[in-house]
Amino acid sequence: MAKVQSFMRSLTQGRQLVIGVPYLWFAILTAIPLLIVLKISLSEMEATSVSDMIDWTNGWPTVKLNFASYLFLSSDTLYFQTYLSSLKYAVITTVICLAIGYPFAYFMARSPKHLQPMLLMMIMLPFWTSFLLRIYAWKTLLVSNGVINNVLLSLGIIKSPLLMMNNSFSLLVGMVYSYLPFMILPLYANLSKLDLRYLEAAADLGTSPFKAFWLITVPLSKAGIIAGSMLVFIPAVGEYVIPELLGGPDTLMIGRVLWDEFFSNNDWPMASSVAVVMILLILLPMALFNKYQAEQSEVKV
Amino acid sequence: MATGPKVANTREDLLRVEGLTKIYDGAVKAVDNVSLTVATGEIFALLGGSGCGKSTLLRMLAGFETPTKGKIFLADEDITNLPPYKRPINMMFQSYALFPHLSVWENIAFGLRRDHVPNDQIKERVESMLSLVQLGKYAQRKPHQLSGGQQQRVALARSLAKRPKLLLLDEPLGALDKKLRETTQLELVNIIEEVGVTCVLVTHDQEEAMTMASRIAVMSEGYFLQVGAPDEVYEMPNSRQVADFIGNVNMFDGVVEVDEPDHVTVRCDECVHYVGHGISGNKGMSVGVALRPEKILLSKERPQGEFNWCEGEVVEIVYFGDHTTYHLKLPNGKVIKAQEINNTRDLSCGLTWGDRAYARWNDLAMVVVTQ
Repeated sequence: MAKVQSFMRSLTQGRQLVIGVPYLWFAILTAIPLLIVLKISLSEMEATSVSDMIDWTNGWPTVKLNFASYLFLSSDTLYFQTYLSSLKYAVITTVICLAIGYPFAYFMARSPKHLQPMLLMMIMLPFWTSFLLRIYAWKTLLVSNGVINNVLLSLGIIKSPLLMMNNSFSLLVGMVYSYLPFMILPLYANLSKLDLRYLEAAADLGTSPFKAFWLITVPLSKAGIIAGSMLVFIPAVGEYVIPELLGGPDTLMIGRVLWDEFFSNNDWPMASSVAVVMILLILLPMALFNKYQAEQSEVKV
Repeated sequence: MATGPKVANTREDLLRVEGLTKIYDGAVKAVDNVSLTVATGEIFALLGGSGCGKSTLLRMLAGFETPTKGKIFLADEDITNLPPYKRPINMMFQSYALFPHLSVWENIAFGLRRDHVPNDQIKERVESMLSLVQLGKYAQRKPHQLSGGQQQRVALARSLAKRPKLLLLDEPLGALDKKLRETTQLELVNIIEEVGVTCVLVTHDQEEAMTMASRIAVMSEGYFLQVGAPDEVYEMPNSRQVADFIGNVNMFDGVVEVDEPDHVTVRCDECVHYVGHGISGNKGMSVGVALRPEKILLSKERPQGEFNWCEGEVVEIVYFGDHTTYHLKLPNGKVIKAQEINNTRDLSCGLTWGDRAYARWNDLAMVVVTQ
């Protein structure tokens, strides 16, 4: 009996150890850096140490917080507009990715089993080339004397070159192109697991294939839609490289502002507060959504 | 044997299938030239082992498979090429295929909504279905919050909600455990009879087919071996295969010795069978004699006369509670099974391993099969 108990105890200890590893990982690589960023955003200078922020003059500790950067953030409308434009481009990118990615993933999941690994390979193939290189390649395609304009001009379809570069069009092309695989992969994983008997049952109950798609396939792939959208939306909000290379003067995004605060203005507290607000902007809708989901799935008896 | 409903002979045919054939990949004959008619109100069972073609046949009736050849008529209308969503047929799927994202209520209403039935009628119909399957208080639950038996009843309610002309049941009780299956069998038959819907049911479980169906088609390799009422198929199998598939059977090989209109005798290696009725064969013909274990009596005394008994050694005793099966090894090495009802709490004939015993049966106990 005692042996069994000690075995069980070692088992739970082992289990805690195994579960502990990802927690440790999260703490070192996510929680602590985030706390550091939060601390910098509330200090006067980057060099301000934590002990400097605590005041003992009254006999008990008082934390001195510096909200100056946050106040500045809220007083200058540039920041607000940049956040808004970041969210706008991230939402548009997500919607376009979903519109292209869903049919793509659907037909991949329905294609003959032996073709699926090859199709999956084709989705991942672009990752074999550097991300930067691929964005530069889009530049040569989209500029006024680029490949697309030259072909269209020589065919006489257009009289003067189309303006496709350094505006919201080129920005969205780059974003959609880069993030599409992140939409397709979770959707494909989800759709390929869909039990086709549900569609048979729907047909049996008088549903045409088109209606069955909207009534059965789409609702049952909700988890994939959410996962894909999150994977596209979250990095798209903070995207820096694509707006920098493909965007123009009217496509300012928050990643660019962040970069400027850090490296042009060298104002670390300001940069950190921009980052904190950006994280909140992403986390809040997610938290609200999760809460809504939890309420939806509660048992109604 | 049959407790299922009996059919009046005067009912009209609802379903007619003519020469239905399904060939996969140009070679594999899943269903081979099957014809059948099912009368209105009948519960018709397709019984067979896995791969016998029963599911393919059912899926062709539902419209999920296109027949290679043949026609399907429902109430004299050719529905062979109608897509599933246009057929007045509903199916209860094996393991139910309830929509996981919809509540019980919405699952049952699903088919009605597709027909654009007015909301108040949908409400009325769904509620009457829920009370029919006694699940009223579970209306707002999701399928995964129900037990297997409850899911089965939701599936039944969903397939009945549109008042189909024909109801298809694919292994309706296959996902339930044995005890639940027995009670659900009768419940299912009662509900089907109450609604009065015609049924085609697919099963590999002969007990399920016998208790539920008014007629059974025994299928093998894509065609029907025998079609008949449950007692007919059990007591008068038309071939060795049917006798073997339905229930347990002892099969004796022999030659017809005497062929009279009122009796025949068949000489086998083990014994001589005296069969108390005529057969459609002739003298000298090789036949099989099928004898069910429950029709054999065991005793320690040597029976009178020269027919319908044999002697052997008890080599195995299998106790089932309500009955015991004795395995008797005959002098030529053949082992026959005899079932004795345990009608007292003592073992009924006091036989034990290694005993010499005599098996006897009366002259109407066996069936002579020629195929």
